Amino acid sequence: MATKVVTIDRDQYSKAAGPFGIKAFISGFRVTTSHFLGNLIGWIRGKPTVATVMFPEEHLAKPPAFRGMPVLVEMENGKERCVACGLCEWACPVNCIHIEPGETTDEVERYPQVFDIDMSRCMYCGLCEEACPEEAIVMSDRVEISAFTRAGTLWNKSDLLTPVAQVARRLEHIRRDYDRR
Amino acid sequence: MSEEKPATEEATVRLTIDGLEIEAQPGQMLLQAALDNGVEIPHYCYHPKLSIDGSCRMCQVKVEGGRKLAISCNEPVRDGMVVDTKCDEVKHARQGVMELLLVNHPLDCPICDQAGECFLQDYSHGYGRDHARTTAPRRKGVKRAPIGEHVVFDQERCILCRRCVRFTQEITETDELRVFGIGDHSHIGTMPDAPLNNDYSVNVADICPVGALLSSDFHHKRRVWFLEDTPSVCPSCSKGCNVNVGVFKNEIQRMVPRRNDDVNDTWMCDHGRLRYAFTSDETRVRQALVRNDAGDFTETPFRIALEAAADLIRPSLENPEAFAVIASPHLTNEESFLLADLCNHKIPAGHVTLPVIRGDADGFLIQEEKAANATGTRAMGIEERGDGLRGLAEAIRVGTVKSLLVMGGDALSVPEGEGLLDVLGDLESLILITPNQTPISEHASVLIPGATFAEKDGSFTNGEGRVQWISRALNLPEGVETEGETLSRIKAFLDNAKPEPFDAITTLGKVAESVPEYAHINRAELGADGLLSGIQEAPEPEPEPTEVTASGEA
Repeated sequence: MATKVVTIDRDQYSKAAGPFGIKAFISGFRVTTSHFLGNLIGWIRGKPTVATVMFPEEHLAKPPAFRGMPVLVEMENGKERCVACGLCEWACPVNCIHIEPGETTDEVERYPQVFDIDMSRCMYCGLCEEACPEEAIVMSDRVEISAFTRAGTLWNKSDLLTPVAQVARRLEHIRRDYDRR
Repeated sequence: MSEEKPATEEATVRLTIDGLEIEAQPGQMLLQAALDNGVEIPHYCYHPKLSIDGSCRMCQVKVEGGRKLAISCNEPVRDGMVVDTKCDEVKHARQGVMELLLVNHPLDCPICDQAGECFLQDYSHGYGRDHARTTAPRRKGVKRAPIGEHVVFDQERCILCRRCVRFTQEITETDELRVFGIGDHSHIGTMPDAPLNNDYSVNVADICPVGALLSSDFHHKRRVWFLEDTPSVCPSCSKGCNVNVGVFKNEIQRMVPRRNDDVNDTWMCDHGRLRYAFTSDETRVRQALVRNDAGDFTETPFRIALEAAADLIRPSLENPEAFAVIASPHLTNEESFLLADLCNHKIPAGHVTLPVIRGDADGFLIQEEKAANATGTRAMGIEERGDGLRGLAEAIRVGTVKSLLVMGGDALSVPEGEGLLDVLGDLESLILITPNQTPISEHASVLIPGATFAEKDGSFTNGEGRVQWISRALNLPEGVETEGETLSRIKAFLDNAKPEPFDAITTLGKVAESVPEYAHINRAELGADGLLSGIQEAPEPEPEPTEVTASGEA
């Protein structure tokens, strides 16, 4: 294969940056300065409108396509949608899900007695959500999952249950995303 | 049908399926001939061990020259037949069948135990629609009804293939299941006073092509795609039914029969199928125990316990008459061979017994001897010496037997072993090698954990002398070894030699060298179906109750 020689005009970059790179300096600081001033003026007015939030206390709303930790959807009656079919357990590439099925006298006779996710293994791929036939496990916007012990990273069913209202946007998103009817 | 047989009396007929030329036996049905030659024809109601029903219409194929599509399960092969199983006409017919079968199917695969091994699931990928054309609500039926002690019935999922009905009519001949109602109202059921409670009832869950009949033992237990199937042999009686052991996370989840036309066809009894809890329950011995000077058991590393056992046996080298062995019919041929070597040649023990629990036989699969390898253990050279367990108990009482080696706990479960437990305290040393706790351990000087059938490789010889291979399905607890390894190491300690690692395949080679009946046997020859040894203890051939008849056309 013939080698193609590309001549790069390095001067054009240094010219674009201006003498001593002053242009690049100004354009970079324009973003920082506008955020700073926006925050400052907003703070003086009492209603900050820009990106910076006081993180651990305040959170930014994440877009519905964001994949945080997987959670179990809790129905209005306080029970999980999950029927312990085991497809997420099978789909999980890192084997972080463990399910023990059980039997109930409810209309749907099967439920997960145990539903554990080892969050130290989870890699947020979302394959469990894609595999789920019941829309029972979805990727939430929760990301604060660190713990001081290994046992603390094991989330059981009651930890994972999340009311359906909290994940409504994500549910709508995956229905559209996976073209479900 | 007889006029369709080929005029010439040749051994095989030649026919063409989808351009593939195959040979078949005259009188064989087209579906079976195709399946034997690796041509997949979808079917629900056909089962090789049951009579032909022809009710599902799924196996329709186009036979050249035929007026309309033929159901291949009831179409005898003819010489020069040309069959098409893939043309549009056939595909269209199958799509129609699938759509009608799914009209009232609840589609609850996520909660159905059959999902993953369901014919309806498999074929709906090939012939099903992606959505229903019906708008009427699906028919409701009884769900998870206990139709028998071990079987759960879900009427909504049933496709009325009648395999289960034919099973209870032809195999068990108990007639519990039948079709009630007509037309759209047909459903499978039992009479109110006769639930499905026979010794082979769970087989209907195996043959059910959908999730209508399910084993209540496996109900909602584990998805089938998580199970690792290991071919093995049922340990519960001397029939030696071939099984697949389904394992998840080192625990047996279920046992299902594996087809072997020479032994169990495709069936097994409920007793054997449901008896696997002993492999992982709390009675398992998981740690070697040696009695200390104060008389209490102390947990001991496995190797040290073996050394202690060898030290207790060593005095018997000079005084073999005071040594006795209670062998076990649960050991493999290879392990029994090592044990026989120990108690016949190394120490010609005064007493050797082989307690075998006996029960009722039913003339079909359930046999009298409730242990997998009593025949093989005897063939390896474990012969009763010293008047059985009663004689042994007497000898211990009067003090002629001072040292006893016990394999397993069956000795207390046979009628002859009644008084044995009372005299065991008189022994100087008692070495117990057992996978499960038994009252004998109260008197044991050394307790060494053993392995169950699921934890070792080896071979069993069933009651008719068939040698069959079992494979390791479970891992033993850390540091614990099989009886074969234990015996070979104890022997090495007695010899002050370096122990040879026990290997079932090489030991089977040694068996073939020393036991004339096993001369032709080796691991490769055994294959999956086993091989008859030279032993013919019970040569009466089983009456074949499951003959496939061609009379389903009526």
